[in-house]
Amino acid sequence: MTTRDIPRDETDAAVPAGLRPLPVDDAIERRFKRRTLGDMDERTLGLILLIPVAVLLGLVVVYPVGKLLWTSLHTVRLSEPWLGRPFVGLLNYRDALADPRFRDATINTVLYTLITVPGALIVGLGLALLANLPFRTRWPVRLALLLPWALPLVFAGLIFRWFFDSTYGVVNDVIARLGFDPPLWLTEPSLAFAAICIAIIWKTSSFMALVLLAGLQTIPRSLYEAAKVDGAGPFQVFRRVTLPLLKPAIVVALIFRTITAIQNFDIPYAMTRGGPGRTTETLAMYIHATTLDFLDFGYGSALAVLMFLVSMAATAWYLKHIYGTQA
Amino acid sequence: MKPTTAALLAGAGASALAFAATPAAAQDLRVFIGGQQRPDVVRPLLDRYQEANPGVSIELEVGGATSELQQQYLTTVLTSQDDALDVFLIDVVRPAQYAAAGWAEPLDSYLGDERDAVLDRYLPVYAEADVVNGEIVALPAFADAMFLYYRADLLEEHGFEPPETWEELMTAASAIQEAEGDDNLQGLSYQGAAIEGANCTFLVPYWGAGGTLTDAEGNVDIDEAAAEQAFGFLLDTIESGVTKANIAEVGTDDTRREFQAGNVIFAINWAYAWNRFQTDEDSAVAGDVGVVPLPAFEGGEPATCIGGWQWAVSAFSSNKEAAVDLVRFLSGPEGSKHLAINASNLPVIPGLYEDPEVLEVNPWFEFALPVVLSARSRPQSPRYPEVSDTIRTEVNAVLAGIKEPEAAITDMEARLQRVLR
Amino acid sequence: MAAPDTLAGRLDRAFSNNRVWIRLAAAIVLFNGLFPAVWILLTSLKTDAELSSLPVTYLPADPTLQNYFTAFSEQPLLRYLFNSFVVASASTALAIFVSSLAAYAIARLRVPFRAAVLATLVAVSTFPMITLMVPLFQTMRAFGILNTYLALILPYTVLSLPVCTLVLVSFFAGIPRDLENAAMIDGCTRLGALRKVIVPLAAPGVFTAGLLAFVNAWDEFLLALSLTSSQQMRTVSVGITLYQGEYVFPWPLISAALIVALVPITILIVIFQERVVSGLTAGGVKG
Repeated sequence: MTTRDIPRDETDAAVPAGLRPLPVDDAIERRFKRRTLGDMDERTLGLILLIPVAVLLGLVVVYPVGKLLWTSLHTVRLSEPWLGRPFVGLLNYRDALADPRFRDATINTVLYTLITVPGALIVGLGLALLANLPFRTRWPVRLALLLPWALPLVFAGLIFRWFFDSTYGVVNDVIARLGFDPPLWLTEPSLAFAAICIAIIWKTSSFMALVLLAGLQTIPRSLYEAAKVDGAGPFQVFRRVTLPLLKPAIVVALIFRTITAIQNFDIPYAMTRGGPGRTTETLAMYIHATTLDFLDFGYGSALAVLMFLVSMAATAWYLKHIYGTQA
Repeated sequence: MKPTTAALLAGAGASALAFAATPAAAQDLRVFIGGQQRPDVVRPLLDRYQEANPGVSIELEVGGATSELQQQYLTTVLTSQDDALDVFLIDVVRPAQYAAAGWAEPLDSYLGDERDAVLDRYLPVYAEADVVNGEIVALPAFADAMFLYYRADLLEEHGFEPPETWEELMTAASAIQEAEGDDNLQGLSYQGAAIEGANCTFLVPYWGAGGTLTDAEGNVDIDEAAAEQAFGFLLDTIESGVTKANIAEVGTDDTRREFQAGNVIFAINWAYAWNRFQTDEDSAVAGDVGVVPLPAFEGGEPATCIGGWQWAVSAFSSNKEAAVDLVRFLSGPEGSKHLAINASNLPVIPGLYEDPEVLEVNPWFEFALPVVLSARSRPQSPRYPEVSDTIRTEVNAVLAGIKEPEAAITDMEARLQRVLR
Repeated sequence: MAAPDTLAGRLDRAFSNNRVWIRLAAAIVLFNGLFPAVWILLTSLKTDAELSSLPVTYLPADPTLQNYFTAFSEQPLLRYLFNSFVVASASTALAIFVSSLAAYAIARLRVPFRAAVLATLVAVSTFPMITLMVPLFQTMRAFGILNTYLALILPYTVLSLPVCTLVLVSFFAGIPRDLENAAMIDGCTRLGALRKVIVPLAAPGVFTAGLLAFVNAWDEFLLALSLTSSQQMRTVSVGITLYQGEYVFPWPLISAALIVALVPITILIVIFQERVVSGLTAGGVKG
């Protein structure tokens, strides 16, 4: 098939789609409406198809999330039972906003997010493009792509702690063999931060690559041919064909990568426990300590709700900026 | 799918009930311990109790293998006020928290007249560690303490006696390091990472310098001079090169491993390290290890941290009488001795340190008695986890060189005053 | 169909005269992905003492399989693997099934509150699990399914729903409606078209979502620790941690267990690789 007779729908497929109602979709929808089920039926069918999700969410998460919200409005501090469990309104939230440790942990979390999300996107995109090359035997490359992600987070953290160990670590061994002075990675705050970022990017670029690779695989060849006919070079093809078509996959990957970055816990916990001092502590680590160790469920819940708000704001931002400007 | 699943579940539930109902009504106990606490050793002990008490059947549930994972599970189960567990083990720093949370059943009323007699059988430190507001919250299972391990061969070779003071230790360590000329040989290793052990790293020299965290009325009162001396000593170990520069990264087992590899002259660690040093096949120091109480400052008293685990009865147990009776057995001479012989756990009863059967397996327990007798309890408070979090963070920051000791002491005191009101 | 209908095909031609580039690309991906895994593999063949030897050793001085024997004898590792496999497979199947339906409704049907549905799904993954632990335990207790596979299958399915649904939405929406409509003209129902047209065409997305769900479930730790606490029901992610002691972290032994736990995932990737590649061709849409 040549470029000329690509049917209209195939180019429609190329429009970044998915996370918003597509005007194009609606147009097609109207075009075919008489041939498909009626409008009401479609709505009903759609709602029916959403029932299983609703049931599962209802069974499993509605109570826990409701309980979390309820707890965040109460004092529930098991180590001080004489306080009772009074309703305190937004007191826990106000405490959080005045809490320097919350502030520092939030700043750290935001820094990790700002560095590791774009970092993982760039590395992940690179890996996905490389892995999509025509290797004769594909599985070793695919395996290499996926293993970092399959390794449980906490072990990824522990193994990177070992790699960055000043005395027994591979990183310093290589640095020393190259004739440089090996630094104390996990003792110096900025180096510890860098080491943690490297570990996170390594671990999560794999997830990115996986989602992006799947996206790459659905890009029709004809579009590349079209671009070639128009005389586009490889970089232009990437910019004008690959990137726009990959956008839906990139957005999905970015949303979840950002949410997990905001929940960043296992890797810094395994590598530094928040040290030196508290310089690498994240919000999730503070929540962990508050609930599990200090048994202050009220305050911990409020922190969790604040974290939820940050995550939702980030998600909304993605959707607005990536799709908003496009429409 | 739904009905099938439901039927399966109902079937499983029914058979579980049937099993539960048959053997001896109302005498089923469920004991929870961590994977690291040798279920293979605890099980026979429970069997022994079952034999002596027909009609009682005990199930052993084994949880995650660290203090932290156990806390995670217990927090979930006990916050849910679940009656699945009757007896569980808790870390020595936890009784006050479990009492405040209403998770551990106070044992006084069950012990009755025997209360004081029961308490008196143990190492004296447990009257402090397991009694909260005058109530016994738990009974000790096995003890632990920080010891000073040293390379007997190196000390002998270079003509040093095991140190009794920190000053002697520093002199010996520096001299041996210099004489050996090995860059990888550390003089002293201890825990500087932001873990529970870092509290002891600070408290040991702090106590040794005469400091306490609270005054007679229980108000927070940091002895600044003692704290400065403690931090001064720790920083001195780094500056003099006796301790390696990245001590702020070193965790408990890092110390053990490096010493075991022959890279350390003196190591501060819990009791578990001894058997690893001496009996591990791949230990480079087997037969060359000595152990003594932690040193004191010149003219001061030595101090060490008490560790170990406690048996507690769940406040949500539906069978508390039986559970308390089991705990008395487990924490009694028979239980403690069993754990000492089969798991090399330090006994909680002083007499067992002279018991020939115990000593036959663990000859070094002979030296351990004075140490555990002098061991001190970390501050007993329902908010101890916050205390611990505060101290270890400051200690870690000072050891990493990102905070001056004076600032750390000020911040520590300010924070502790809010926590230990 | 001559060449793979994708970017791969495009680049194939660009690079076909220069295998060096391909090799270099392969080397980068392999090194990045496999170095830590290979390190774990090598560690599993070492003794504990070797880890503290200086200078750092890379290859085991005296390779031993002892750690593997110990791993299997010290813990019922096979049982853990079996449990993980049951839980991960069931939750993956359920998550894919449920999220395909939802994704189809969101991507293709004009359901009301589409944005709200998506937002709710995303919201599910934004709470730190540790803060939901206690009420989740209570929920599973209320269902009477603590210590059963279901206690993990249900929450794992829910945890995978957001990412699976969003991935599938993005793939479904990219499939031309003509194909679907053609199928319906041929007498398929809408659901028939979903099964016969949409899902196969979105195969790379479906397999990716499945792999995401499977590995999520395989690696999940926190819930597994508390919801299935009897030894017979433990999953491998918790099982691996049972080799450690209070202080001791026996890297060689744990590495052996980690390698064993990675084997099923590796097999899965190798097998599905073929499926994904065939999906790739289908993904070219016009064939």
